[in-house]
Amino acid sequence: MTEPKSFEDLQRELDEIVTRLERGDVPVDDAIALFRRGEELYKECVARLQGAELQIEELLPSDPGT
Amino acid sequence: MPKVEHLVYGDRKVFTVSAFNRGIGMHLGKLPPVWVEGEVTELRRNDAWATVFLTLKDPKTGATLSVTIARRVYDRLELDLSEGATVHVAGRAEMYELKGELGFRATTIERIGLGDHLLALEQLKRQLAAEGLFAAERKRRLPRVPRAIGILTGADAAARGDLVATIGARFPATKVVIRETRVQGRGAASRIVGALAALAAHPEVDVIVLARGGGSFEDLLPFSDEAVVRAVAGSRVPVVSAVGHEQDTPLCDLAADARAATPTAAGTLVVPDLGELAASVGASRRRLGLAVRAQLERDRNKLARQGERLRTAPRLLLERRRAALDHSGARLQTLSPLATLGRGYAIVRSGGDALRSAAAVQTGDPVDIQLAAGSLGARVDEVRP
Repeated sequence: MTEPKSFEDLQRELDEIVTRLERGDVPVDDAIALFRRGEELYKECVARLQGAELQIEELLPSDPGT
Repeated sequence: MPKVEHLVYGDRKVFTVSAFNRGIGMHLGKLPPVWVEGEVTELRRNDAWATVFLTLKDPKTGATLSVTIARRVYDRLELDLSEGATVHVAGRAEMYELKGELGFRATTIERIGLGDHLLALEQLKRQLAAEGLFAAERKRRLPRVPRAIGILTGADAAARGDLVATIGARFPATKVVIRETRVQGRGAASRIVGALAALAAHPEVDVIVLARGGGSFEDLLPFSDEAVVRAVAGSRVPVVSAVGHEQDTPLCDLAADARAATPTAAGTLVVPDLGELAASVGASRRRLGLAVRAQLERDRNKLARQGERLRTAPRLLLERRRAALDHSGARLQTLSPLATLGRGYAIVRSGGDALRSAAAVQTGDPVDIQLAAGSLGARVDEVRP
C-alpha cells in the first residue's frame, strides 16, 4: 500500500517543477510535460484545501483497563 | 473522666444528642495521636479566626478528612501551602460535638514529597540532559501541513476544545486523531506512553500534541516521568508539548520538538493558516505559467535563429567554394608553361623529349622548337656542351 501523498509533498513537487522550469534548461517536450504535471499538482492542492471540514477521529484504547 | 449523663425511661437508657456526641468525642480522645497523609484540597485561613481549616484528600480514593489547627501554630510553620500539596498531619481524631462530625485536630503539619520530588526531578533532568535528550539538534521540524494531528489528552474538555477549535479555524482540510487517557495520578505515566505509541502508530498522524491544561505540581508529575520523557524524545513523529501553564516546565516540554504555552498556541504551531497556504499555492501556479511561457519563448527564438542559419547556409557554402576555386585557378595560371612561353621562352624537343642538355644531341639531329605561338622544325648546326 502506498501512503497517500501529503499536501506538503504535493506542494514541494509543484515548487520543484516551477524551479526547474525557471532555470530554463529543460527540453521543450519535457517542459510541456512538467507544466501539465504542475497544473495537476496545483489542482490537487486546491481541491485539498477547498470545502474540507475538520475530521475528528477518536482513538479508543485497545486495553479496556486504560 | 466525667460520666456522660443519660435519661432513664423505665428500663431504657437514653442519651441526648450532645451527650452522645460528647461521649463519642471522649472515646476518640483516648485514641493515640497519629500521622495522616493526604492532599490539601481546601484551605481556609483568616487573620480574624483562631483556627485554620483544611480538608485532606486521599488522592487514590477521593476520601476526605476535615482538619483544624490553631492559627498561631499554623502561621509559625510557614508552610506556604497551596491546594494539591501533599502533607503529613500529626494529631488526634476529634468530634465536633455541635454537628456530630468527625474531624482531626492537628498539632503540626509537614509538607512532604515536594522536596523529594523536586530533587528527583532535578537529578533526572540533569541525567537526561547529559544524554542529549533535550539537545536543540535533536528537535525536528514540525510538518507544515500534517495529514493528521494526534492529540493526547486527559478528560480535560477545555484544553481539548481549544486545540480542536484552533485547528479547525486555521486549517479545516485536516484531521485530528484524539486519544484520551488518564494523565494524572497513579499509572498515568505508563498510560501516556501507551497513548503516545498508539497515536504515533496511526498511519496518517504526522505530529502529536500533548494537550494538558494547568494542574498542581503533583498533577503534572507524570509529564516529567522518565518513561514519558523518553517516549516523547524517541517518538516516530514530532511532538508538541502543551502541558500546564506558562510557568510550568515539565520535562516533556524540554524533550518535545516544540513547546506551546497554551492549547491555542499549540494549534497555531501544528497547522498553517488556510488563507496563507492557498495564496502560496496560487503564487506557485503563476510562476509555473510564467516559467513555461518563458521556456517556450526561448525555444521559439532559438528555432527562429536556427531557421535563419539553415536558409543562409547553402549560399555561404557556394560563395566559399567559388572563392577557393578562383584562388586555385590563379595559382594554376602561374604554373602553366604556356605562360612562360608568352614571355619569350621556347621549348626544344628531340624525339618528343624536352632538351635540358646540349650533350643529348649531335650535330645534324632534327629538333622541334615550340614557341608561344606555333613551332619550328630545325637541325643542330653545332654542339657546345
